[in-house]
Parts: sequence; C-alpha cells; structure tokens
Amino acid sequence: MPSRSIDLPQGTLDLLILRTLSLEPLHGWAVSERIQQISSDVLRVQQGSLYPALHRLERRGWIKARWGTSENNRKAKFYEITRAGRRQLEIEQDAWQKLTAAVSQILETA
Amino acid sequence: MLHDLLFRLRTLTRRRAAENELDDELRFHLEQQVDKYVQSGMTEAEAMRRARLEFGGLDQVKDECREARGISFVESMVQDLHYSVRTLLHSPAFTACAVLTLALGIGANTAIFSVVNRVLLNPLPYPNPQELLAARQNDSPPNLRDMQRQTHAFASSGGVNISPMDFTGNGEPVRVHGAYIDAGLLATLGVQPMLGRWISADEDVKGGPRNVVLSYPFWRDFMGADPHVLGRAIRLSDKTYTVIGVMPRNFTLPRELADVFISLWVGYPEAAPDRGVHFMHTYWRLKPGVPLTQAQAEIAQADHRLAEAFPDTERERATVLMPLHELLVGDVRPALLILVGAVGLVLLIACANFAMLLMARAVTRQRELMIRASLGARNGRLIRQRLTESTLLALVGGAAGLLAAKVGTTLLLALRPAELRRLDAIPMDARVFLFVFAISLLTGLLFGLLPAWSASRGDIAEALRENERTTATGVSRSPLRSFLVTAELALALILLAGAGLLIKGFLRLRSVDPGFNPANVITMYLQLPGTRYPQIPLQTNFRRELLARINSFPGVEAAMITDLPLAGNYVGHRVVIDGQPTRAVGSEPEVQTLSVMGNYFGVMQIPIRAGRDFHSMDREQQPLVAIVNETFVRQLLPGQNPIGLRIDWAGNEPHEWMTIIGVAGDVKDSGLNQPVDPGVYAPFSQNDEAWRKWMTLVIRTRLTVAGLVEDVKKQVWSLDSQIPVSGIQSMDDLLALSVAQQRFNMLLLGSFAALAVALAEWVPTVWLRIASISEPTKSESTSPWARSSAMSCGW
Repeated sequence: MPSRSIDLPQGTLDLLILRTLSLEPLHGWAVSERIQQISSDVLRVQQGSLYPALHRLERRGWIKARWGTSENNRKAKFYEITRAGRRQLEIEQDAWQKLTAAVSQILETA
Repeated sequence: MLHDLLFRLRTLTRRRAAENELDDELRFHLEQQVDKYVQSGMTEAEAMRRARLEFGGLDQVKDECREARGISFVESMVQDLHYSVRTLLHSPAFTACAVLTLALGIGANTAIFSVVNRVLLNPLPYPNPQELLAARQNDSPPNLRDMQRQTHAFASSGGVNISPMDFTGNGEPVRVHGAYIDAGLLATLGVQPMLGRWISADEDVKGGPRNVVLSYPFWRDFMGADPHVLGRAIRLSDKTYTVIGVMPRNFTLPRELADVFISLWVGYPEAAPDRGVHFMHTYWRLKPGVPLTQAQAEIAQADHRLAEAFPDTERERATVLMPLHELLVGDVRPALLILVGAVGLVLLIACANFAMLLMARAVTRQRELMIRASLGARNGRLIRQRLTESTLLALVGGAAGLLAAKVGTTLLLALRPAELRRLDAIPMDARVFLFVFAISLLTGLLFGLLPAWSASRGDIAEALRENERTTATGVSRSPLRSFLVTAELALALILLAGAGLLIKGFLRLRSVDPGFNPANVITMYLQLPGTRYPQIPLQTNFRRELLARINSFPGVEAAMITDLPLAGNYVGHRVVIDGQPTRAVGSEPEVQTLSVMGNYFGVMQIPIRAGRDFHSMDREQQPLVAIVNETFVRQLLPGQNPIGLRIDWAGNEPHEWMTIIGVAGDVKDSGLNQPVDPGVYAPFSQNDEAWRKWMTLVIRTRLTVAGLVEDVKKQVWSLDSQIPVSGIQSMDDLLALSVAQQRFNMLLLGSFAALAVALAEWVPTVWLRIASISEPTKSESTSPWARSSAMSCGW
C-alpha cells in the first residue's frame, strides 16, 4: 500500500480540505479518510499537517468549527465551509485547473 | 482582516478552553484511527503504536496548530515564561548568581546614566530652551543696551551680575547673593513669578524705584513663606527695597546662584554706566526660526559698531554666542562620557559572565533538553524557550540593578565635585526606567542567544556523548568560553590601568605642597558695607580693632587677607617696576594683588625667603612697602635681588612707589594642579582702594571650632551688628575641596575597576563550582522532573 500512495504536493492540502468540506461538514479524521478514499488511496494526508491546516483555514474564516457528536456517539469537532470559503474554493479550483492543464499540455506536446 | 483579529483575540482570551479543545480534537483523531486499525484486525496495542507513529510528534503538531491560529507567539511566550520561572526557582544558586552579576553591571550603568540623563540630556528648565543662547564673554550694561537696540534676531535678551549683599534687620545679618539684573532677563528665560511681578523696563533705569524680587528659598527661609509678602520692605546692604515678586520654587538662573533680584541701574548705579567694565553674564533668546549663524552675524556687526564708537574700551570686542545648554554642560561632558565608557566596560564584563553562567547551565540541563527535543519540540522553539529564560533573568537583574542604582546615585550625590554642585537630586525618571528596561532586554536577548545557539548547534547524539564526560571540562574547552574569559580579563585590565593612573595622579596631587600649613586654621569671610565704611581709615580701624580683640583670645593667632589661596579669585592688577623700560599701556605684566593685616605669613606658616616680614610700623603715613612671591621674582626680576626695588600699579600717575621688603614662599593660589601666578602682598592699612571692603580672617587655633566661631562672631557684631560672617571653614576642608573633582573621578573609576575585577575573577570561579559540584546531583534531580514536566506538556 505505501508504494501506491503519494504525498500531497505543497499548497494543495487547503484546496482538498475546502473541496471535501464543500459537500458536508466533517471532523478532522473524516476529512483525512475522505481524501484518502476519494483518491482511491493514492493521496495520503500527512496527519501532522492536517490539523494545522484546518486551524489556519478557520482563522482565515473560510471554514468554521463547532462541536458535535460523531457517528459513533463521541464528541468531535466538525468543520463546515463558509461563504467566503466557497469563494476561495472556486478561486483555487480555477487556479489548479489552469495549472494542471498547462502542465499536461507541456507533458504531452514537449 | 477584522475576522482574523477577532479570531486571534477570542482564542487568546479563552486560551485554556482553546488548549483543551485542541487536546480533545487530537485525541479524538487518534482514537478514531486506533478504532479503525482494531476493526481491521490489529491488537489494541499495535493499533495504538501504529496510530501514534503515523501521527508524528504530538508537541510539534500542537505547536503548529497554535501557530496556525495566530496566537502561538504570545501563548507560547506565556508558557515559556511559566516554565522559566519554575526552572529558575528550581536552581536558586544559579539564579542568584546571574541576577547578582547583572544587578551590579546594570546598577552601575543606571547610576551613571541617571547622572548623564540629568546633566546632559535633560532640557534646561526654561520654555523653548533651544532658542536660548549665552554670550561666552561678559559685557557691560551700556553695551548690552546698545546691542539690544541694534539687533533683530532676538526675541529678547538680558544680563545679570551676582554680587554679595548684606540682608539685615532679621536676626543675624546674612550675606546673600544679590542678582543685579537687566529687565529683559526674565522675558529671555521665560519664567513667570509665582507671586507678584517682575521688574519692568521703565523701572530698570537710574533713579528707578527700589524694588526687589525674591527667590523661593529666600522667601521661604527669611520671609516665613508669607503669602502677603508683596509690598513689604526689606534692608539689603543698607538700602530699603520693596518686595514686588517671588519666583517659583524650581526657578534658578542658568549659571548663577541668586537670592534676590534687583535692577542693576537701581541697585548699582555707580557701576551701571561704565561701558568698559564687562561684568554681566548676558543671555539671548532667538526669535523662532532664526538660525544661530544669523544672530551671530548681527552680533558681530554690533560689536564692530561699538568698537568704532568706543575704541578705548571696546576695540577688542569679539562676542561669541553659543547655545546655553552647550555652555552649561560643555565642561562636564567629556568627564561624564569617560565614566559612561568605563561603566559600559563593567556591563560588558557582567554580560560575559552572564553568558558563561548560561552556558554552564546549558550543560547541566542537556538531558532535559534532549527529552524535550525527542518529544518533538523543535530547535527554534528550544532556543526561544532559553531566550525567554535569559531575558527573564536579565529583567529581574535589571530590577535589582535599579535598587543598586538608587544606592549608587545617593553615593554619587554625596561625593559630587564642585562642577556638579548644583545637582541637588538625581531623579529616576521615565527615561532612566526605559534605559534599564532596554539594557536588560538587550542583555538577556543578546547574551542569552550566544550560549543558546552554541548549545543547540550540536545534534542530540553529540550532546549525549558529551554528557558522558564530566561537564566542567566539556565546557571549559569551548572556544566561546575561552573568548569570554579572555575578553573579560582584557576589559578589567583596561579599567584597572585607568583607575591606577587616576589614583597615582590623585596621590601626586595630594602630595603637592600648597605652600602653607592648613592644619588648625579656620577661615571666615567679612565684607564691610560701603555705606558705613566709605573711607579707608574707617575700614582700617575696624580691621585693626577686630584683629586685636580676636588675638586677645588665649591660644589663638589671627590675621587677615583679602582672598584665600586655592580659590583663584584674587584681584589682578598690572604692575610696573621702577627702573625697567616702560612697556606699552595694557601690556604690563599682571599680578595677583593681596592685602594683609596682622601676622599673615606667620599664621599660615608661609616662609619668608628673603628680606623681612611686615611689622606693625608698616602702616598708614609710613613708606609704602610690599612683599612679592617667588614666582614674581622668577618671572619679572630674573637674576636680580628684589629687595629694595620699587613697584607700582600701572596707570597710577604720579607713581606712588612701593618698596619690595621681602620675598614670600609661593602659595598655590588657583588650585594644587595650577601654576602659581606672580603675586604682591601689601598692608591693608596702606591700601588706597576703598572698594576693597572685604577680608578673610585666618585664625590658627587649638580650640574647638564651634566655640571659637561663635566668639569671633560676637566680637564682629559687638563692633558692628550689621555685618554678616560667612565662609566659615577650615583650611583643611578648603584643601580637600580643591581636589574634590580628582577625588570623585578616582573613586568612581576605582570602584568600577574593583567591580570589574570582582566580576571577572569571582564569577568564573563560582561558575566552575556550580558546574562541577552541583552537576551530578543536579542532573539526577533535574531529569525526572524535566521528564515529568515535558510529559505534562504532552500526554
């Protein structure tokens, strides 16, 4: 399994977190699980960098946190995306798509 | 942006809650992860191990989360502070050592800075002090008036001359400092009277009303602080003046001591119109925005005009204006700056010690640091934690230094030399506190960084190996420490050499023969009021009678002289010598002129080197005689036998020749380290200058001083109850006073050097002891505690 997974490129973690949270509010562990699942276990979130990223996004006002109950009935901190967060997500998605398009264009033609 | 700020603020205010939430959140994550692994078939223990391994250093993640929330700096500082206080209290020997070292260094610096702050940095106690100028040269009242009229750069200007006045009619007669002023002076200084008003320009004329403005101390001491003092009449030097104002408590003239203020034209009408007698200090206030150069140019023009109009007396005018502050502190500045440099060296030594103490401590705490590092604390964070500790130490040291400085300034005040005599208090104002704070902070950061950085550089494994060896040798090999020790010794040596030179100079000065024997000689100063003793015979009778009465006391011999040695304030006259070629007017040699009565040379034990002493027949109606000093003979009559030669004052037409009857030994007239000026002694009774109304009694006695002084005062007042007796001091005190400045410098630099040597010598020794003796026990006691404290930060 480790051989299949790759570490996240720098700066994409924020984008992935925002994208994941844009579907529904989740707690931190679920965010990392979700990213891993959706990417079919290719992307692994460094757990050490997940939480600082969540707190950073919260500080910027792109996500907000509230305490709720997890599916197995435990107290958990849930994050949900804010309106500012959605705008930011659009911007970053846009930028990401432009970047990947450009990169693949180079890879294909060069 | 606002959100960001509010967010930070909220997390900051509910710090504990936020911290708990962070704990909860991360714990929840780990538990979820463990659950997941258990469900996939792992044992609980293996699941836990795996989860933690994946998660990485918990401390580090938490740190990064705090940082991400933007409050980590303040928060972790609070944490570090808390931690530092605990660790410092845990090792009181080290803490005491470090605080004491810094307290001494910072204390000495603060004391000196307080003086510098007061003397050099504090603005003058007048509004807009930057506009105030003073002329370097004295001037006469008529010149001042003319210059005021001819210049436009100044908002106002004024002058003052201080002359003693007798204040009578209020118990014992008292000699006070009379300020003969020009009406413009107060407007120039810009201070309003506390009561009443200042002397106006129309009153400042010949024949104007006799009004007086009082200083606050005079009003308090002699007027009983009477709020209704305005309009009261007081007697000053036999004239009645009406009180029209009282100055505020903190008012002083820039350079002069003054008790009462009187118009020069009213109080001293005989001197005021004399253009050629330059006896006023003049002060000038620039109009706002006018540069000094323009003012100086206008003054130069006025000088030029005056020189053309009055070539006899004003030909050599060259008035130089300078900022008042510069004039007042210019002389003290170099001495103070040297002290600042010296005391700065002491601080450097203290700082080097501080750094060494920190290094020693770093070694004893290596195990604790390793544990923290292995728990995920990052290197930067560890350095910061140690900086917090050193800064905390430095600030505590600074606070202790403030106390030391308080003691120091009290000592400085007690020892202050004449130049700083007007310094009545050395207050610690906001600037001093800021200085202490800044210097402590800088010390803590700079000298804490050095050892913190040098300790953090080696990796953990290296430190581990190092820790196996004995600690003291481990650090004593460090190049940083060798450098610090060498630097300390070098700095201490510089101070020692400086102090040694000063001590040597002072001892040489003290061993200088003043030319007289100061032991058991008391001096007192009297001045005859001109109103009642206008002629010389009246003055002579008073003097002769007083001396006869004092000399009738058993075991006492008294004599009189105009001005005492060492003071340097004699009257100078130009002299011509009979038979020598005539010199151009104004280029004759100047000599000090002293009048004596009684056995002056005997009382002072000044040897007569040739010829004879005065005797009782050298008096009025007898041939005029003089005694010259050795310097007179050496400079003006080299290779000649002076006895029998005749001298007279230049400009005395026709000449009334005085015959030189003797040569007296040289006496240090202007100070022990000053060359002796040529001098001429003549009998008071043959004096022809009625304005020499003053005299200083010199009394050799074996009686107790207090009793004798009272007896002499009684004799003075039985002759004339209106004459103040002042300047009561022993010749020994006068001698000590004349070297006070050198003594002050020597004591100060000497104590700095002692402090430097103590610090450079003592602290390294103590350091070794702390490092070598306490190390084994300390590491035992530190480690478990450090571990538990490190644990409590994590799980």
